[in-house]
Amino acid sequence: MSDDDHYEDEDYTSDDDSEEEEEEYEPRSSRKGSSGKKRGRSNSGSDGRRGGSKKKTSGSAFIDWEVEVDDDVEDDDNDIEVEDNEFIVSGETDLPTEDADDRRQFYQRRFNPDHEEDVDDFEKRYIARLSRMHAQDDYELEEVNEVDQQALLPSVRDPKLWLVKCAIGREREVAVCLMQKIIDRESEFKIRSAIALDHLQNYIYIEADKEAHVKEAIKGMRNIFAYHKILLVPIKEMTDVLAVESKAIDLSRDTWVRMKLGIYKGDLAQVVDVDNVRKRVTVKLIPRIDLQALANKLEGRENVKKKDFAPPPRFMNIDEARELHIRVEHRRDTMTGDYFENIDNMLFKDGFLYKKVSTKSIVAQNITPTVDELERFKRSSENGEIDFADLSTLFANRKKGHFMKGDAVIVIKGDLKNLKGWIEKVDEENVLIRSEMKGLPNPLAVNERELCKYFEPGNFVKVVSGINEGATGMVVKVDQHMLIILSDTTKEHIRVFADHVVKSEEVTNGVTKIGYHELHDLVLLSDLSFGVIIKLDSEAIQILKGVPDRPEVAIVKASEIKYKIMRKTNAQDRYKKVITVKDVVKVIEGPSKGKQGPVVKIYKGVLFIHDRHNLEHTGFICTKSSSCVLVGADRIVDSFSKFGSLKTPGQVPPSPRRCQGADMGYNAGAGGRHRGERRDDNLLVGTYVKIRLGPFKGYRGRLVEVKEKTVRVELEAKIVTVDREAISDITDNVATPSQYNMGSQTTLHPSRTPLRPCMTPMRDSGATPIHDGMRTPMRGKAWNPYMPMTPHRDSWEDGNPGSWGTSSHPYDAATPGSGWANSTPSRSSYSDAGTPISNANAPSPMTPSSASYLANTPGGQQPMTPGTDLDVMSPDIDGDAETRFMPGILVNVHKAGEGRNPGVIRDVLPDGSCIVALGYRGGGEKVMATQSEVRLVSPRKSERVKILGGKYGGSTAKVIGLDGSEGIVRLDDSLDVKIMNLARLGKLVL
Amino acid sequence: MFFHIVLERNMQLHPRFFGRNLRENLVSKLMKDVEGTCSGRHGFVVAITGIESIGKGLIRDGTGFVTFPVKYQCVVFRPFKGEILEAVVTLVNKMGFFAEAGPVQIFVSKHLIPDDMEFQAGDMPNYTTSDGSVKIQKECEVRLKIIGTRVDATEIFCVGTIKDDFLGVINDPAAA
Repeated sequence: MSDDDHYEDEDYTSDDDSEEEEEEYEPRSSRKGSSGKKRGRSNSGSDGRRGGSKKKTSGSAFIDWEVEVDDDVEDDDNDIEVEDNEFIVSGETDLPTEDADDRRQFYQRRFNPDHEEDVDDFEKRYIARLSRMHAQDDYELEEVNEVDQQALLPSVRDPKLWLVKCAIGREREVAVCLMQKIIDRESEFKIRSAIALDHLQNYIYIEADKEAHVKEAIKGMRNIFAYHKILLVPIKEMTDVLAVESKAIDLSRDTWVRMKLGIYKGDLAQVVDVDNVRKRVTVKLIPRIDLQALANKLEGRENVKKKDFAPPPRFMNIDEARELHIRVEHRRDTMTGDYFENIDNMLFKDGFLYKKVSTKSIVAQNITPTVDELERFKRSSENGEIDFADLSTLFANRKKGHFMKGDAVIVIKGDLKNLKGWIEKVDEENVLIRSEMKGLPNPLAVNERELCKYFEPGNFVKVVSGINEGATGMVVKVDQHMLIILSDTTKEHIRVFADHVVKSEEVTNGVTKIGYHELHDLVLLSDLSFGVIIKLDSEAIQILKGVPDRPEVAIVKASEIKYKIMRKTNAQDRYKKVITVKDVVKVIEGPSKGKQGPVVKIYKGVLFIHDRHNLEHTGFICTKSSSCVLVGADRIVDSFSKFGSLKTPGQVPPSPRRCQGADMGYNAGAGGRHRGERRDDNLLVGTYVKIRLGPFKGYRGRLVEVKEKTVRVELEAKIVTVDREAISDITDNVATPSQYNMGSQTTLHPSRTPLRPCMTPMRDSGATPIHDGMRTPMRGKAWNPYMPMTPHRDSWEDGNPGSWGTSSHPYDAATPGSGWANSTPSRSSYSDAGTPISNANAPSPMTPSSASYLANTPGGQQPMTPGTDLDVMSPDIDGDAETRFMPGILVNVHKAGEGRNPGVIRDVLPDGSCIVALGYRGGGEKVMATQSEVRLVSPRKSERVKILGGKYGGSTAKVIGLDGSEGIVRLDDSLDVKIMNLARLGKLVL
Repeated sequence: MFFHIVLERNMQLHPRFFGRNLRENLVSKLMKDVEGTCSGRHGFVVAITGIESIGKGLIRDGTGFVTFPVKYQCVVFRPFKGEILEAVVTLVNKMGFFAEAGPVQIFVSKHLIPDDMEFQAGDMPNYTTSDGSVKIQKECEVRLKIIGTRVDATEIFCVGTIKDDFLGVINDPAAA
């Protein structure tokens, strides 16, 4: 290290690189040397020492080398293995040259291979020496002033720094090689120093007057890329090269730190002793020692090297060690007077490993030990409880701006310990607090370190740092600096440090909004499933999926959410009472049986109920609407009778805005997706109709607009205005949409039931053979007034909210006995009318002239206007759908808000709902779809179909031709060719 | 704590209810709308006891709805921090137990249950003292002190303690 030949020989002659270099070296002038020295020294922070080195004469040309190289090498000294390296230890002796003799002697002794001296001995001697030197330094400190400092800065006359590229990881080696070269060929080199910086990979700095000198010096060195350009460091930046950001790491006893390297990397450690001079700290760690391996090693047996395996942290059990015949020495530490167990030169106490490490190998800033870590650490204290007073050390390195005016704080250190107060002002380190204690000056200045936030049970807090960041809750217990919080979201206890929370009035469920997603949003996921967001996290979103009967929580990324489902729908409970959002329902079957709570979201007949007693999924329950009963339904009905059929206020259009919304939907045809009443209006637009009455009788055309009483029809010739009643849907269905929406209902509704009976016979008689064919036995079922008709009703409800916005509802509701919320007789009759098969047809008997309906039937059947989209509009499809859907056919599932998804019917439930496997081949997820949501996919020519009704219901066939709305099929079994309505043909998926 | 106060609310009424029974309709709608609701300021509206006044109705443009300002007397219940309440235990788990005092739900954390009471899991989870003399389980009536309240838009949630003198089980129907 120094100009000590003995030392060089001992340590570096073995360096083969250095022997190759034959270059001259010229000793630096002391002036330059000191300038470089100064820069290097800013590291040590001791000006005095710089002063000392300044006096250094040219005789000690290698001192600079020592400085730089030492520092570098010392950086290496991060691991216990390196620790025994004398070279590094010697690096600590960065001493003025006054006692160069002494040092030389020291080195000689030290590096004499024969000299087997105990490391402890060395240390002791070192300490003695250092303390001596240190005293001197302190003395000299006074002599240094600003001007002196300025004079030390490099100028144009000084040698320059050159940046030389070298192999990664070889920076130090290169520097050492250069040193060796210079030692060997002292007079040949003109470079002054070489600097390898720890933080700078791939480069070293060489100090020299000319680039040529640098080139000369590096010539032939294998780790230097000589062909690479040598860069000059600008004078201004020269100081920066060597200036080390003085991280004022204030390591004091009990500070929590983390290890940077080695098997303990990342482990929490506690400082037990600090040696500022030598930049060493003794830390307390939970040892990661494989006793067996240790025993093997001590017995000289070969250890299977498992480099990448770090034994789990475990407290050292001395007895266990003894059992493995590991020699355990019980020794007293000379410095502290404590007793340690010494095993293989490692010191243990109370199961902890006491380890001396360089300050560089630990991280002391922003250490926030987790509660668990601390708990483990404190294990060995008597009762296993964390000594919280000790935790005050945790706050040593909290971030700035930690305290805010108004915070309640408690003093944790010093005379005023346990004094409570409120922060008045924060001044950097000092905090002015106001306390209630009498006789104390107010405000009182206290060091920030001595304060800790103070909370009381019942306080509302928000966690602002640590692993639980973002959570809010109520403090239920204060255990010194540890708080136990009852989280708002999870209703679970969270343990946090008082330091990590702030008082918060805000009631959040942790994070309530991330990006577009808000807590408790109903969302559609990319896999087409839906659910309610029950927890938001920065990384993930927890969703309670809309799978009834079994709570399924999906953890998804924000990107997996397709969109938020905004639509508000209704559903029916078990007794067909309408459930709207906010209604309180009780679950009467399924796994959530007995739970009760307000409905938060409704989607596709699935209810999301918030039961505050439910601790799982933040209180959310997902269940089918049909397994719930509306709580207090009687009361609601009562109130309805009082109020007519006024539903919950939400139902009544409260403001023009809503109406507008509905109108918009109307005009935009958004309602087309929905079925039932509203659809009549909206879906009719665009359908082909035939005018039944008036001067345009017999005309056909496309509906372009539907008004309350009239519709506008674009005749195939021209657009005319006709009475609304005077049209019929060409697709076999008499379109009388107005009926539901108009005041005439009063008479219409009652008339419906009586009329119905005559409808069936009429149809029977008037039906064409094909028509006949569609009347399957099941049809009777559909007509059965007692049959549950959930699906249709469902969709009928679906259609409501929007249409209520229009004028239709109030009128409707005003009809005595026909209020839909009144689920009594009139309702059921109405429902009957709504049974799928009659859905579209039912209105027809109500038209003033039912005969016209009759007359219409045969004709309406056949000349289906080409190009009509069956899927969208043909009411007879969904109308008849209930009993006709059969497994194995391809359908489109129209779920609200999802558009259409192709799927294959797998099963048809008695109520008409289908279990549909999504995908063209039915390979996807199975979903439940009410029949109203299922539309047939029209088969194309030469495709295989299943006949969905009529005489041939269930048989398979092949389409051999299409003719408008008819399909010409050849039955598979009889090979007969039949003409069938396309609506009776389901595309078969094999 | 219960309060008898006068509150005001703007009621919207559909024109169809105009007529002889307008007032009746209005009141019953008010009851339906208001009773059982919770506001952060006043707490739960337990019952409407009377109508102070019904102001002049204002027809809203576009809808035909009429807005009546209604002043009504009602009994409200609002829990306060520090208040002692008697409540019925509704749920016991390892975190503590939930109790209800009328519409208010109160959570008593296990940290706020006397230390000598231990959680016993099982069919009927409960907290029992070491000698078994006191048992907190579902349906138990407890006297507790509220240490904190959280007011949501729709509910008030309280955290209570029974770790204090004269607090704890007052009646256990299961034991009786």
